Amino acid sequence: MEKFLEFARGPLFTATFLFMVLALLRLVVLQIVDMVRARSRNQDFRMPWQRMFQDFAGWIVPSQNMVRQRPLFSIMSILFHIGLILVPIFYVAHIALWESGVGVSWPGFGKVWADFFTILTIVGGLYLLFARIFQQSTRFLSTPMDYFLLILLLIPFISGFMMVHPALLPAEYNTVFLVHVLASELIFVLLPFTKMAHAVLFPFDRMASDYYWNLATDGPRKVAQAVRGDNLKV
Amino acid sequence: MAEQNEQKKEEKVEEPKKPTLSERKFIYHIEEEPTGDRVSKFLKAFAAALEYTNYKGALEIYSRTSAKCARCSAGCPIYEVTGNDTDIPCYRTNILLNVYRRYFQPLGSIRMRGWHLTEQHIDELKESLWRCTACRRCMMECPMGIDHGFMAHFGRYLLSEVGIMPRALRISTREQLEGATHNTSAIPVPALTDTLEFLEEELLEITGREIKFPVDVEGADYLFVPAVSDFMMEADTLMGNAAVMHACGYDRRYTIGSKDYDGINYGLFYSDWAWDKIIYQLVQEAERLKCPNIMVGECGHASRSAKYGVPVWGRELRRPVINCLEFAHQMFKEGKLPLVPGAIKERTTYHDPCNVSRVGWIVEQPRELLKHISTDYVEMTPNRRLNYCCGGGGGSVSCDETYEFRMEVGGRRKAEQLKETGAKYVIAPCANCKKQLRELIDYHKLDMELVGLHDLLLHAIDWDKVKY
Repeated sequence: MEKFLEFARGPLFTATFLFMVLALLRLVVLQIVDMVRARSRNQDFRMPWQRMFQDFAGWIVPSQNMVRQRPLFSIMSILFHIGLILVPIFYVAHIALWESGVGVSWPGFGKVWADFFTILTIVGGLYLLFARIFQQSTRFLSTPMDYFLLILLLIPFISGFMMVHPALLPAEYNTVFLVHVLASELIFVLLPFTKMAHAVLFPFDRMASDYYWNLATDGPRKVAQAVRGDNLKV
Repeated sequence: MAEQNEQKKEEKVEEPKKPTLSERKFIYHIEEEPTGDRVSKFLKAFAAALEYTNYKGALEIYSRTSAKCARCSAGCPIYEVTGNDTDIPCYRTNILLNVYRRYFQPLGSIRMRGWHLTEQHIDELKESLWRCTACRRCMMECPMGIDHGFMAHFGRYLLSEVGIMPRALRISTREQLEGATHNTSAIPVPALTDTLEFLEEELLEITGREIKFPVDVEGADYLFVPAVSDFMMEADTLMGNAAVMHACGYDRRYTIGSKDYDGINYGLFYSDWAWDKIIYQLVQEAERLKCPNIMVGECGHASRSAKYGVPVWGRELRRPVINCLEFAHQMFKEGKLPLVPGAIKERTTYHDPCNVSRVGWIVEQPRELLKHISTDYVEMTPNRRLNYCCGGGGGSVSCDETYEFRMEVGGRRKAEQLKETGAKYVIAPCANCKKQLRELIDYHKLDMELVGLHDLLLHAIDWDKVKY
C-alpha cells in the first residue's frame, strides 16, 4: 500500500499533472489559432477588445441575469467553485508538497480556511448533484458523464476533509489518502477532455459570440459551391 | 323520428380538441422539400462550413465547455410557455455539438459511440431551429455564455444548404436577388415614386413644410434603406424619417436608391449565402450613388444584418453602417433636432427589438428621445438587454402560416408584458416587431396601439425652433 501511495504521490502525480498542463495548453493554442484564422478570413483584424473585456469581467462577477431565475442554483454553483479552485492551490499542506518537490511556494491559508472552503464545496456540489437528479430540465440534458464528473470532483474534498479530521475516517488513513490522490489524478487526466476544461477555456466562451459573428467573406460562396454545385439560385 | 335522431347526432359531434401550449407545433411551408438522404447532405454542408467559414472556433469552444445545466431555459420565452424539454436551448444546440463531436473531433467515434445523426434528428431540427426566434435571451442566462442563437443560426444555414427553409423567406429573397424589382415585396419603382409623392403631400399637410424624399442623389452622405414594406405599410415611420432628416438640414445629404431600396435581409435568418449576396447588392447601390455611409431605417434585423454583414461581405465596397435611431439621437443631442417636450400625453412604453438591443447597440438612444417627448413613459419588465422577444423574430413573422404559434406560444410572454405596462402606445422601431406586436395586440385584445419611434418624432418636431 505504502509503495503504491508513494508512486501515486510521486511519479504518477508528475506525469498526470504535466499531461493535464500540456493538454490544456494545446486547447488554448487551438483556440487562439481558430480566432486568428477567423479574423484572417474576413480581412478584419480588429479585435472587439472592449466588448470582450466586458463579457469576460461580467462572467467573473455574477450578474443580475444569472441570479434572477434560478437563484439557489447560482449561489450553490459559486460556493462549489470557490473551494474547488482555492483549496487545491492555496491550502498550505498542498503548497508544502510543491515546495519539497519543485522548490516553489506561494502564500496560502491553513486548516481552518481549508475546512471552511471544503464544506462550501461539498455542500454546493451535493446541491448541484441533487439539482441534476431532481430538476426536470437539467436531468433531461444530463449524460452519465455529467453525474460521474460531479461525484469525482467531490471525492478529493470528502477524502481530504476526512484526512484532516481522522475521527471521520471510514478506513485506514493511507487508504483514504490513496483515494484522495488517485481521484485527483483522474481529474487531471480527464480535465482537458471533458467539460471540466472550462476551468481554463472559460475566457474564450463568452467572447466567442462577440468574435465569431464576424463571418468568413468567401465562406458561404465556397460552401454553396461544395454542397450545391455551380449555377446557384435562391 | 329518424330524422330527429340524426340531427341530434350531428349536434353531438365535438369540436376538435385545441392543442395545449406545450403540444403546439411550429409548422412552416417548405418549397420542394427534400426527401431521401438528408443526413449525408447535412454532414457535407457541415464539413464544408468547417473548412471554409468561421463556425469551427465557436463549435470547438462550445462543445468543450457546455455544462448541460439547462440554465438557458430560464431565459427562453418559448420554454417559459411550453415547459417542453425539447425547447431547452441547449438541447437544440447539443444536437449540433454532438454532430461536431461525433464526426469532426478527434476520437469522436469512440467518445460519442452509440450516437449518430439520423433522419429523425433532421426532422427534429427542422422544427426546433425555427421554433426558436434566435432572440438570444438564453445566452444571457448560460453560465458559459454560449450563444445558442448563433448555433440556431448555424443550424438553419446548414438546413438551407440541404434545401430546408421557410418558403416565404425563400420566395421573397428570390425576388430580391433575381427578380425585376430587387426587393422582397416586389414593389416596382413606379409604385415607389407614386408612394413617395403621396407621402410628400401628406407631410405638407401634417407639418406645413415642403419635405421631399430624395431619390438617386449622387454623393449624398447616407444611402437610406428602410425595410421595403415600410413604403407600403409604415407610412408614418417613413414620413417621420423624412421629417427628421429635413429638420436637421439633411434634405440632400441622404438619398433613397432606385436600384436597391430594401434593407430587408432574410439571409440573416436562413442562409449566410443569401446574406452575403443581399449585402453585396446593397453596397453596390451605395457605390453607384457614391454614398460613403449606409443608414438603415426602423428595422432590427435589417440594421443588424447590414452592420455585421457589410464589413464582411461588402468586400472592397464596404462602408460604415448606422441605424436611423442613432442618427436621430445624435442630432437631438447636438441640438439640431428640436423636439417638443411632453408632446405625447398618453402613456408610452418601449419594446427593445432583439437584433439591436441584445448586444447593447441601440438601448438608451430611443429611450432618451422617448422620455423627452413623452409625459408618461414607463419601462416594461424586464427591459433593455433582457427584454423579451416579440415572438415573431427570426423571420417567423413573415411566414403567415405560423400565426397561431406566434400568438399562442411565441408571443405570449410579450403580450403579458405589454398588458402589465398599462401603456396606450408601445413603441417598437422594428418592421418585424411591428407586425408581430400589432397581431398580438389584436389577438389578445389589448387596449393599446403600436407605433414606430419616428412616427412619434414626426408629431413632436418643434418646427419653430428648426434652424433650416
